[in-house]
Amino acid sequence: MPLIQLNGITKVYNQASIPVSALNGVDLRVEKLEFTAIVGPSGSGKTTLLNIIGGLDQPTSGTITIDGTDISSMKESSLVDFRLHHIGFVFQAYNLIPVLTAKENVEFIMLLQNIDKTEREARSIELLEAVGLKDRLDSRPSELSGGQQQRVAVARALASHPGFVLADEPTANLDSHSASSLLELMEDLNRKYEMTFVFATHDARVIQRAHRVVTIEDGKIKSDVMSAGSHA
Amino acid sequence: MIFRISWKNVWRSKKRSGIVIAAIALGLWGGLFAAGVMDGMGETMVNSAIERELTHIQIHAPGFRDEKEIGMVIPGADTVLAFVSGLPSVYAVTGRCIIDGMASSPSSSQGVMIKGIVPSAEESATAIRKEIVEGSYLDSAGSNAIIIGKKLAEKLDVRVRSKIVLTFQNPDGSLVYGAFRVAGIFQTASSQYDGLTLYVTQHDLFPLLGSSMIHEIGIRLASAASVPDVLDKVQKRFPSLEVLSWRELAPELKITADSTSVFMNIFLGIILTALLFGITNTMLMSVLDRVREFGMLMAVGMKRRQVFLMVMMETVFLSLTGGITGMLLGAGTIASLQRSGIDLSAFSAGLAYYGIGSILVPTVPTSTYPVLTVMIIATAVLAAIYPALKVIQLRPATAIRTY
Repeated sequence: MPLIQLNGITKVYNQASIPVSALNGVDLRVEKLEFTAIVGPSGSGKTTLLNIIGGLDQPTSGTITIDGTDISSMKESSLVDFRLHHIGFVFQAYNLIPVLTAKENVEFIMLLQNIDKTEREARSIELLEAVGLKDRLDSRPSELSGGQQQRVAVARALASHPGFVLADEPTANLDSHSASSLLELMEDLNRKYEMTFVFATHDARVIQRAHRVVTIEDGKIKSDVMSAGSHA
Repeated sequence: MIFRISWKNVWRSKKRSGIVIAAIALGLWGGLFAAGVMDGMGETMVNSAIERELTHIQIHAPGFRDEKEIGMVIPGADTVLAFVSGLPSVYAVTGRCIIDGMASSPSSSQGVMIKGIVPSAEESATAIRKEIVEGSYLDSAGSNAIIIGKKLAEKLDVRVRSKIVLTFQNPDGSLVYGAFRVAGIFQTASSQYDGLTLYVTQHDLFPLLGSSMIHEIGIRLASAASVPDVLDKVQKRFPSLEVLSWRELAPELKITADSTSVFMNIFLGIILTALLFGITNTMLMSVLDRVREFGMLMAVGMKRRQVFLMVMMETVFLSLTGGITGMLLGAGTIASLQRSGIDLSAFSAGLAYYGIGSILVPTVPTSTYPVLTVMIIATAVLAAIYPALKVIQLRPATAIRTY
């Protein structure tokens, strides 16, 4: 069973006034452990596709199944719960909570899952250690570099034991050294935690490292290429 | 952790939060002070009346208060006085003979209320001795001395040691004349009382009347809280007499005392309503600055009700910080004025007409503070509704990409 399966997904905005079609019948399967990049120019529909995969938006038609659960017709309240337990998010602008420390930011997701304090603390420390920030546990986001903030965001995404991590332009705000270091980290986590990563990006560095590159244009999948040595 | 985040969020924009906290604090400070002055004024009015002559409880023969008939005396007044004096909460008791009459000086005549007292008992039960502004108080042995209100002295154009002739009816209806010499002039907080009242000793008055007669017994208690208890005991012991508390004797004072706290809460409510708009504005600015963050919180799995609660708590913390600061400032200011009070002698003539002294001690009942705290929380909750609703209406997918 594929981890993510999209069948005939369409998305039309402004249906009542001037309809704009963002996705035109997208079919996609993502297997467990994949390290997949969804690429395409601005306006190609990759963000819409990512939102639909992440349960942040509903398709106009078609079905989306995550790990066997059809989320295309789920109510908003159920989707919030589904996102909390099944999907990890990494955003372009890091989006950490500025008043919390790195450790608290990671713990926060587990708090929403009602995980007890001891387990929260142990896992947040383990994850921050895994992303190389063991010595910055008590630092606030404003005290961290962009690369370090994005590492905290990755640790946060993994904290809820998600089925996969969705990363929207994760390297767009980083310099090349930080971007490369972050990608290495994600590859490590992909192996070490057997975590599936799906990126939306137009960063060549990400595309180069991805095991699979899905190119989207005008709301349709134009190409779907597996790179050499991919283990998916 | 949501509470901790809310608390920390209050301090994200120190300047913005500081301004609204200062506005709340200053508003409540001013409000509490004004309410304290209002309450102090009411309390002064009540206390002045009790100290002047009202006392906490009065005993009369039924109908005396309406008829003022000289024959309507308290039967067995000595027994009543002895019983009341023996009650544990009673601080002082005074028996009064009260007659309407005429006071004449060489230059003028005035209708007056003559009060025949035992000076030592009256000075224990009231503040009359302290209110002597010229001359001296009465001597219990009597020497046809009289003390009169300042305003009455002005009307009669008399001074200390001036002679006054009192004319009144004795119980059999004959007119009686008595010559008295002014020993002292008193000035109470009520100019109306001072223009009408004079005191003589029972020692001098009773021979003119031909018998002893007590029309009124005033009871001063150690604490006003004992009024219901003492009232009950005296009523039960002397069911044929009219035994009334100061609230029944002076209903206008009761209304003043009861309405002050209501007016105080209305006044503070108006201030908080004005602050409500300021708090809403600040919170709205605060949440609109954080649209992306709220988008992220909802995207990663924070429920809308949790986000709503977070904004709500943030507003409550912000408002309570300002509110508590304002209450502390208000309470501090009022406490610092407890000893000296506020000198309003510039307006003493006007205040005296209403029975209010010229030194005003602002007071705020302790019960006001919990009520005010609840009012602040209610204001905060109301102020937070609109910003919190704005937040939970955000679409996470769009909000995340807001800059």
